[in-house]
Amino acid sequence: MKKRRCGLHRRFFKRRSQSCAAIDRKGVMAMTKRSGRSRFIVLCLAAAVILFTVFMIIPTLNIFRMSLFVRSAYSTTEEFVWLQNFTRLMADSNFIRSMQNTILLIVVVTVVTFGLALIFAAILSREKIKGQNFFRIIFYIPNILSVVVISAIFSAIYDTNNGTLNSLLSFFKGDTVAILWKGESMVMVSLIIAMVWQAIGYYMVMYMASMASVPQSLYESASLDGAGRLTQFFQITLPLIWTNIRTTLTFFIISTINMAFLFVKAMTSGGPNGASEVALSYMYKQAYTNSTYGYGMAIGVMVFLFSFGLSALVNAVTKREPLEF
Amino acid sequence: MKKVISILLATALTASMLAGCGGKSDEPAAQAPAEGGGQSEVPAEAGEEPAEPAAGGTIKVAAIETAYGSAMWQEVCDAFTAETGIAVELITDKNLEDVIGSSMKAGDFPDVIHLATGREDALTETFIKDQNIVEITDVLSMTVPGEDKKVSDKIAGGFTETALTNPYGDGKTYLAPMFYSPCGLFYNAGLFEEKGWTVPATWDEMWELGDKAKAEGISLFTYPTTGYFDAFFYALMYSVGGADFFNKATNYEEGIWDTEEAKTCFDIVAKLASYTEPTTPAQANDQDFTKNQQLVLDNKALFMPNGTWIVGEMAEAPRAEGFEWGMTALPAVTAGGDSYSYTWFEQAWIPSGAANQDAAKQFIAFLYSDIACEIFATKGDSPAIQPVLGIADKLDGDNKMFYAIYDNGAKAAMGNFAAFSPIEGLDNRTVWFDPVNSLVSGTMTEEQWIEGIKSASDQMRANLLQ
Repeated sequence: MKKRRCGLHRRFFKRRSQSCAAIDRKGVMAMTKRSGRSRFIVLCLAAAVILFTVFMIIPTLNIFRMSLFVRSAYSTTEEFVWLQNFTRLMADSNFIRSMQNTILLIVVVTVVTFGLALIFAAILSREKIKGQNFFRIIFYIPNILSVVVISAIFSAIYDTNNGTLNSLLSFFKGDTVAILWKGESMVMVSLIIAMVWQAIGYYMVMYMASMASVPQSLYESASLDGAGRLTQFFQITLPLIWTNIRTTLTFFIISTINMAFLFVKAMTSGGPNGASEVALSYMYKQAYTNSTYGYGMAIGVMVFLFSFGLSALVNAVTKREPLEF
Repeated sequence: MKKVISILLATALTASMLAGCGGKSDEPAAQAPAEGGGQSEVPAEAGEEPAEPAAGGTIKVAAIETAYGSAMWQEVCDAFTAETGIAVELITDKNLEDVIGSSMKAGDFPDVIHLATGREDALTETFIKDQNIVEITDVLSMTVPGEDKKVSDKIAGGFTETALTNPYGDGKTYLAPMFYSPCGLFYNAGLFEEKGWTVPATWDEMWELGDKAKAEGISLFTYPTTGYFDAFFYALMYSVGGADFFNKATNYEEGIWDTEEAKTCFDIVAKLASYTEPTTPAQANDQDFTKNQQLVLDNKALFMPNGTWIVGEMAEAPRAEGFEWGMTALPAVTAGGDSYSYTWFEQAWIPSGAANQDAAKQFIAFLYSDIACEIFATKGDSPAIQPVLGIADKLDGDNKMFYAIYDNGAKAAMGNFAAFSPIEGLDNRTVWFDPVNSLVSGTMTEEQWIEGIKSASDQMRANLLQ
């Protein structure tokens, strides 16, 4: 068949400079090359796709499935209950309190961390300060510490009788200050301080990196036009690193939900009397210590949808035309 | 050639990434137990001859490492292997639930688990609620390996008749009682001697002492975490209404929380909250609880509910001059009334998913042998006392005084809240004991606490496991 078509080619396209046989060879080679290439691509991607499916997609779908069942973590028997776990959740005041705490942490920790990280980054990259590198390292250190170490450090800081914080406050006040930092009324503030302290250095270093790429000439011409430091920060620095802020903001919101669990588990165990319980720690308690695994998975689904929705919202709200320089 | 290499590389990458997800080996993980050291042994390294499997097979034992330490467990396992020829693969850890939890979710269960109820992770309670524990009533009539006595002849009376060992109230035993410890109020006996105070015999005397101590800047009471209130509350229920009230209350009988006895219990706890050292709730978590225990050692609080393990747990802690451990049962409600000390004990049990249940039962029987009891009592960081007859005679030091509490007039309280099938968002600790933190902080009233208990109790009654 191929030969006959080649014959036709020869008859009708006599003026062709290359022979048909040569085209055939090249075509076959190209095709083999193409299919070899696709095979290579498929093989390269296969690992990631398989791993992603096995470890991400299937477990996530499984969580959605299990949230519709009454079951325990160590037992194989399960009973399908439709959306009963979710309707119970809506009436569970402990769950509502844990969601409120989660939202409080997300909002306050994000605002404070980002505000301070941006200010420190601007100061360290734009101003001439002695020991810039020293500050950069000092701010970054908390980020490389494990949460368990951080919780031990803050256990000493927050100690009511001999803690650093109360001793410092007593020194300035001139009278004994005995604030119960891990007491019911202050425990969320204590968590917020620890989480901000831990996260600030990482984001500061990230912003310093993107601020370093903003051309110096822009600042020079702005100062010639009479723009002060603050104006330069809001009119030049912020808009030009906006893409970076946007990306880190989404990262940070998701990581705050996760980090809150670790901090609560290591620092307060959710106490006193559930005052510092967050969504994921409550989910863990329900799934593993209260034998209501399906209920725990329903909380997992809520947290999943919540973080998904929040990320989409933050992405939409912070959308700007990207500026180039 | 390039293509071949590329394909080979890609295949190698895929294979190496998936290799980590490989299933478990079918080879038995058997190996002879090592000398000393509490951790499970690492399988023989590549190139070495695999260890000879023991003649009687291998069982996997998982034991919680508490203030008693873990070295004694290795010795007991070695003694068991020497006696029966069954090798033991031992896992001990302070956070045992985290260590064995994930493999159990994958269906790989230890043959024997030694844990205590009332822990934060509530693994034992989970298995009880799921009815996932093997019945061991037959172990009681087994002969202890290496001896000619039956297990039931060795275990002291009452220990295998409580809700902790027979959780479903059907007369069948599912959990073996381990390491008992009288619980009560611990104090600095040296301070009492110095001030000329006497240990209160009734709650009225307790409040009087509280006022005297307050005048000297000392609080009457503290507690490590609210988890320690279980033993306290059980003993309190016994001393207020006796065994009858205790049984009704722990089975959530309708209207029980409206009775005069219940009201007395609630009033005592609420009043005690007002006498509690104010920093206690802020430190009543798993990380800072020793700071609350330290309050007693520093003479900042007089009493705390605890168990005999406290001596070992705080052995290295600094203390006030002349400090000396003292322990008393809960005061009586009225003069001349009964005072109770809760007998706290841990449990060993066989999960339903265990592969070697017969060997596991032999292991549990062996735990009551003279050899095992001796090792537990002498080789731990602090003595772990098995609930066997005649063991208290062999004790010395502080422990002799602690375990003599029942000889000095205090009655023994045993039992637990009855098991119920899991209820979403509801468990005993959050309903009964965690609110004590709020009572002390003043963010919850006694009435709110009681209301919470009543509504939870109704749901628990409806879900009782029979």
